[in-house]
Amino acid sequence: MTPTEAIPLLIVVLLMISIGGSDVQEMSVTFQGDHDIESLADVHVVAGGATTVPENATVDGNVYVIGGTTDIDGTVDGDVTLLAGNLSVNDGATVTGTLQTYSGSATVSSDASVGQISQFEPPTRSSSPAQRVVGFLLRFLVLGAFGWWLVERHPLVIENVGAAITEHALVNAVVGSLGATTLLVLFVYMAFTLILLPVAIVGLIVEFFIVLYGQAVFGYLIGTRLPIERDGVATLAGIAAFLLVLELLGFVPYLGGIAQLVVAVVGFGAVLNTYFGLQRFEPVTISRGT
Amino acid sequence: MELSTHVRERRWVTVAGYGLFVALMVAGYYYNITFVQLGLIDLGTRLVGMSETAVSMWMAALALVTLVVAAATGMTMDRRGWSTNLRTKLRLLFGVVCVQFALTVVAPMIRTVPAFGAWIIFASIGLGVGFPVSFSLAIDLVPVPDRGYVAAGITAIAYFLANAIPLSWSVDVFSQLMVAAMAPGLLVLGVLSFTSFNRLDAILDTLGTQHETYGTGRFCYGDPIQTRSLAFAVPVVLMFGVFFIDSLGFLRIIDTPSLLLSSWQSTDLSTRLFIAVAHVIGAVMAGVIYANYSLSRVFLWTFALFALTHVMYTSDLRFAALFPTIAGQEASPLNPALYAIAVSFYTTLNFALWPDLSTPETIGTHSAIGIGVAGWLATFSSTALALYFQAVDLTLLSHLNVVQALSLLLLFGLAVGLYARRMIELARENGGASG
Repeated sequence: MTPTEAIPLLIVVLLMISIGGSDVQEMSVTFQGDHDIESLADVHVVAGGATTVPENATVDGNVYVIGGTTDIDGTVDGDVTLLAGNLSVNDGATVTGTLQTYSGSATVSSDASVGQISQFEPPTRSSSPAQRVVGFLLRFLVLGAFGWWLVERHPLVIENVGAAITEHALVNAVVGSLGATTLLVLFVYMAFTLILLPVAIVGLIVEFFIVLYGQAVFGYLIGTRLPIERDGVATLAGIAAFLLVLELLGFVPYLGGIAQLVVAVVGFGAVLNTYFGLQRFEPVTISRGT
Repeated sequence: MELSTHVRERRWVTVAGYGLFVALMVAGYYYNITFVQLGLIDLGTRLVGMSETAVSMWMAALALVTLVVAAATGMTMDRRGWSTNLRTKLRLLFGVVCVQFALTVVAPMIRTVPAFGAWIIFASIGLGVGFPVSFSLAIDLVPVPDRGYVAAGITAIAYFLANAIPLSWSVDVFSQLMVAAMAPGLLVLGVLSFTSFNRLDAILDTLGTQHETYGTGRFCYGDPIQTRSLAFAVPVVLMFGVFFIDSLGFLRIIDTPSLLLSSWQSTDLSTRLFIAVAHVIGAVMAGVIYANYSLSRVFLWTFALFALTHVMYTSDLRFAALFPTIAGQEASPLNPALYAIAVSFYTTLNFALWPDLSTPETIGTHSAIGIGVAGWLATFSSTALALYFQAVDLTLLSHLNVVQALSLLLLFGLAVGLYARRMIELARENGGASG
């Protein structure tokens, strides 16, 4: 595992711990060597080496595995989460909470007692049509409400971002991809300091919001081309059409994903370039000669 | 882009000018980043048997002599009116390429230190004359609005070729490739410089008068930028900073086998292609930003990218030092890819900036001082500092930590400088605070 690969996993664990309400300051981490754990402060992360909960031991807390090998022979009074590496819950072992597996290799003995076993399934296209319709409607409701509010209350703002998208797509794509990537790396490294973890979480949420903002503006742009008089209704229809197109693009291998990414970065750049729509984006003017 | 207008209106001579400039600059820059920067190290250490420190000192001397020759050439060009005479510039360039061709042929045969030293002096003269001459061709061949895109094209092609073609960093290999590539180029330059027939004369006459339209650079409208002015000195200092950071960091990275063999010298073609594509993406991004934003924004992005790159490099090293079991021996290709984007960014800026800070009367001097001070003096200084670091046995992490600190300082300094400038502007506009 390279540091570049390990750092994001540690960040994910930090985020999960924060969201789960545990105390990050109480976290202990194993990076190398062989260890027997007899007690836990609150949370333990296995990042490397070999860690064992011995047969007669009962540890109170949650265990996260992101690398190395973990053997549970005794009792874990809490949850066990596997993100990478190897996990074995052996004969006679007990996990009172949930054994959540995202990735890596997990072996659970039939003679072990586990409160609940949960295997993370990444969302796939094969999920039920009902689930997908509900997901689509949820996204439509959020974006639609936001788009409607912008068009009805701040039409100039959404018009500015829309103009940036239509008139300077390439510039927005460049600024969007540079801005989104650098901010993402910045927030990840901020999270790693622990002190700035809340700032990093807020930053990531804001980045996500900017992507949604861009999507709403794409919907607005489609709406302006529809034969509907009322701006708000046209925007709603446009957003529905835009989301539908995004869904359909998902079915096209490779190119569909690239197109979705391009749309996201163009929208991101347009929002940044217009200061969230507060100012019309005008590139510098270069004289064509004397 | 203006180019599309020229194509639509069938101005093929102007379009050919773009092609000629890109071809000349790609060839020159490829020669510089492969043969001069990498081939010389191999020549000095392997064939002549010098220590790496001695070779680095000779390379620092090359940088210094190149700076002096470039400054003298640039000023002479402007004073004698050569800057506005296309034929003269092509003839000078032909002479430079002849010298470089001969030097490239004889390089693998050099075995003694005096011969190596003489080679360095002649190469410096060639480079010193070549830089201001080739950069000054921009006023004849590239319309002002397209300079960012053309610079991006040159950077993208040169770096893509340098990274995607799997050559070993050996002077023999570089020499064979360069001789094969330079021979037809020499022929074309010879024809352009010395032959005369109606069609060719008409083409060169058209291109030769284009400086009347495109000669005044983007930042020279209104008040032309003087050589002894802050408007010229600030970009020179900032570019010096960029070149210095890049050179200081890269000198150590290429001296670290684990970093080098997992990136620029990887045996895995996909890794090298990944870096080559990163260079292209970085160049395109820089071209778009250069053409659409103010100069300060381009510099801000450049420094931000370098700061980010070195933060990532040093973070990885710190992490690996703390947790060696997790870090293992592998290195991620993401860091060199980000480095490639940052390098392409400032290289694109370098190709477009000096002609845009000049008029036909100052192009020789400005490009010579710009590239000489920012490029060659920075290389000289960074090589000297890298040698000092080597002498005091500075660790890789400490070395890159200095580079990271410098890049963060430049980023912060530029941001503060821009903010302070705005404050001064506001104070002058309002004559003090306003309500």
